[in-house]
Amino acid sequence: MPLIEFRGESAGYSGQTVLSNLDFSIEAGERIALVGESGAGKSTLLRLIYERSGANAALVPQEFGLVQALTVFHNVYMGQLHCRSIWRNLHNLLRPRRDDVAEVEKVVEKLRLGDKIFTGVGELSGGQQQRTAVGRALYHPGDLLVADEPVSSVDEHQAQEILETINGEKNTVVIAMHDRALAIQFSDRLIGIKSGEIALDVSAAGMKPSDLDSLYQVGSS
Amino acid sequence: MRLLSSFIATVIALSVAGGIGSADQARAAGKFVFTAIPDQDESKLRKRFGKVANYLSKELGMKVEYVPVKSYAAAVTAFRNNQVQLAWFGGLSGVRARLLVKGSTAIAQGKKDPFFETYFIAHSSTGLSYSKNFPKGIAGKTFTFGSKGSTSGRLMPEYHIRQAFGKAPSQVFKRVGFSGNHSRTVSLVQSGAFQVGATNFKVWKRGLKDGSIDPKKVKVIWKTPGYPDYNWTIRGDVDQSFGNGFSKKVQKALLSMSDPDLLKSFPREAFISAKNDDYKPILDTAKLLKLID
Amino acid sequence: MTAKKSSSPLARTTGIFFGVAFVCACFSDLAITTVDPWAEFSRLLAGILTPDFFSTDSLMLSLGYTLAFALLGVALSNIIGFGLALLFFSRTVRVFCAVIRSVHELFWALIFLQLFGLSPLTGILAITIPYAGIIAKVYAEILEEADPTPLQALPYGTARISAFVFVRLPDAFAHFRSYSMYRLECGLRSSAVLGFIGLPTLGFHLESAFKEGHYSEVSALLILFYFVIATMRFWMRRPLLPVYLIIAVIILPWGAEFSASNIVRFLTEDILPHPLRDPSASMVEWFHLIIIEQAVPGIIATLQLTMVALIATGLLTMIFFPLISPLLLGPKARGIGHVFLVITRSTPEYILAFVLLQLWGPSMLPAIVALALHNGAIIGHLVGRYTEQISLRPDTPAGANRYFFEISPRVYRPMLALLFYRWEVILRETAILGMLGIATLGFYVDSAFADLRFDRAMVLIAITAVLNICVDAISRKVRSYLRLQTSLEHR
Repeated sequence: MPLIEFRGESAGYSGQTVLSNLDFSIEAGERIALVGESGAGKSTLLRLIYERSGANAALVPQEFGLVQALTVFHNVYMGQLHCRSIWRNLHNLLRPRRDDVAEVEKVVEKLRLGDKIFTGVGELSGGQQQRTAVGRALYHPGDLLVADEPVSSVDEHQAQEILETINGEKNTVVIAMHDRALAIQFSDRLIGIKSGEIALDVSAAGMKPSDLDSLYQVGSS
Repeated sequence: MRLLSSFIATVIALSVAGGIGSADQARAAGKFVFTAIPDQDESKLRKRFGKVANYLSKELGMKVEYVPVKSYAAAVTAFRNNQVQLAWFGGLSGVRARLLVKGSTAIAQGKKDPFFETYFIAHSSTGLSYSKNFPKGIAGKTFTFGSKGSTSGRLMPEYHIRQAFGKAPSQVFKRVGFSGNHSRTVSLVQSGAFQVGATNFKVWKRGLKDGSIDPKKVKVIWKTPGYPDYNWTIRGDVDQSFGNGFSKKVQKALLSMSDPDLLKSFPREAFISAKNDDYKPILDTAKLLKLID
Repeated sequence: MTAKKSSSPLARTTGIFFGVAFVCACFSDLAITTVDPWAEFSRLLAGILTPDFFSTDSLMLSLGYTLAFALLGVALSNIIGFGLALLFFSRTVRVFCAVIRSVHELFWALIFLQLFGLSPLTGILAITIPYAGIIAKVYAEILEEADPTPLQALPYGTARISAFVFVRLPDAFAHFRSYSMYRLECGLRSSAVLGFIGLPTLGFHLESAFKEGHYSEVSALLILFYFVIATMRFWMRRPLLPVYLIIAVIILPWGAEFSASNIVRFLTEDILPHPLRDPSASMVEWFHLIIIEQAVPGIIATLQLTMVALIATGLLTMIFFPLISPLLLGPKARGIGHVFLVITRSTPEYILAFVLLQLWGPSMLPAIVALALHNGAIIGHLVGRYTEQISLRPDTPAGANRYFFEISPRVYRPMLALLFYRWEVILRETAILGMLGIATLGFYVDSAFADLRFDRAMVLIAITAVLNICVDAISRKVRSYLRLQTSLEHR
């Protein structure tokens, strides 16, 4: 029984079709990388997958989606807002509870943000903000993680570390990535998108970055 | 974030407010309060009437307070709403107050108040000079009244202007203003901001005496016939609130005021008794000018 | 081949507004009627230079009242305004807010004076009610413009309240806080001006001192007022706010009693049209008098004055903003420019108009100049700050060429956005200036109150409110037609 299934569907927004002829499914435990040119429709597909999955999915949006006025703790804590009572949420908003801080701290430590836990997100660098956004998704209890370019603002070494952590924490992972080498290294299935259609859907094993060239060339398919 | 704590603090502050407010109101009940129309030099009002409050306090054997107000209408409103029980009104404001508060009575007036006068004054550049008859030459000039609710600064001069020209002041003059009070009228005409104005004769005489008026720049061009004006008016329900005969006691205190220092602040030589009917001419004139319905 | 000249919507709109203002100006009374305005002005100047802090009775107390009314009014309006902002999706709430903010605080105060007399409640409510309407609108806009992306990243099934307090509120809160500070500054101005109609604030003494020409006392009162506003960001600390509010409540003179019967009488008798109370009076006559003899000339004068003042404000803005722009002036000159703009915009237009009326005599001129100075200084300040973000190319011209070719074209659009945003404010002030004797709607409202004819006053205030709502709607149309936007900080 697949986790998510698309059978010849189209998708888009405000009346414009961005993706068409979607025909694939995602099984639990898969690690999928979405590759393709910017504007090809990766983000739309991610959003579609996220919306289909309900409370089971955590999202890392491309623009992070952080609340600038709150601290790292609060932003990460928001990954479990739906699991807690409103009173506990309010309590944590005004005065973080020790037990919840301890929980959040575990996630934050893994992302090397331990010393920043009570720093306002607005004061962080782009890379630190991105790690906070990943942290929020990791703190989310669902087993599916949907991420749009989650390592675009960090260096190569950190990117490796973050993707490793993600793979270690979440059962099923769907990530859009522009770095082909990373995509191949950290996934077991590659889905290539070109001009709003799925142009490639292969196992990542044994692939080379140059094998994906066709996705980025104009006029050929 | 800290929004909640701010909210809570505010709610606490407001409940404290409520508490203090109601306690204060209970205390306020035993106090006799009066006011006066701000007809001239307002900054001196507090000094002038502070003395009167002390005098009344002593005579009546209770706490008497003076509350300053900014306008004639505010004085009438305070009287109507029982925030003051006694007021030093002009003719028109007194009539209005007594119409609004049933049972209230005029109890005293200045010795010359039954024959009060308005002076029409003009800047020397107009070339107008004193005449016994109404100066028709003021037509087409700029003109300022005093306060909109004043007897000597608005009601009577407007009455005579309408009598003389058969038209509203706005049709007679190039520009019509309301200076706000009598001393202001004098200084506006003296500075030339307005060419002609109408002011209270007491304020004019005092200004001449203390030198604030320069007779070379501004002069009297006409005096109205006499009419009843200023009066002390008291609410009808004071006997109920402060004990039988209280109204008479206040009247007696006012009539027996003999300290020249106190009287000078009005400025009056002495107070004589008054009754509501004394001001019938004012009521009739106000109705004629549609200032009272 | 000839290139066809076509004008942009921006230029066309500017042209139309200029044309309208010009026609209005032609029919306006712009005379200086005092024989020797400069003699009075030199007395004023001499007074300003020799402030006298000891001639005002209970100066510190009236300063305390000024602060107390402003603090309590702004605090309450923040709470109510915030609540209303949450309900802003409802049309009824939006209309309600538009109505309560279309009536100027001085008019509210005149109404509450009838209900509560000189009780502190009059002053607090006069500030709270219109401010709640303004704050509700601004807060609703802030909440609406909050970054939507965190909301999309929230876990599925997050409760609405949790989502609101974690995502919408925190970012909006910073804006709320800075806006509240600005509102408090406005509140201080309003509170001071309420003294002009009898509340015990600084304006009470200011009005007396002005009227009697005690300019040294005027100077002291104004210096005190500027000092309080200028130091606001040092004493206005959030943790101290509850303390301030409690002190405010304690010092206010709550003694004046008010009774429910006064309130009932005002609402059920006083404001009923006179012919309903007195069968002998004619309804037609009553209506004719208010509409034809008062409202119509009042509306014409109000609109006339507003249009001229609007354009004059725009012109002054273009002169004022270079005073603080680092692209046009050096640091020293800018320092002086800042002081000038701060003083000009801190002085309520009501007080400016009052001063100019004393100096120049009664015509529309003092009102126009007062409105243009005050609003020009506010917008000029914002535009000047905006120029700090402009980066010029290295070979840019200097002096006048830089002003006309590089800077003016770039600031024109944001300047117009701010100007049209303030159109409604200028109209509301114009109406109020009538209370100083210029024949705008406020003059007739003031006359109705002076004659204790509350029925007429209420009709005229309602007409003023409708006029205000109309201008607000037109201003919104013009702004959306020209695609003008004001950023959050600039309201």
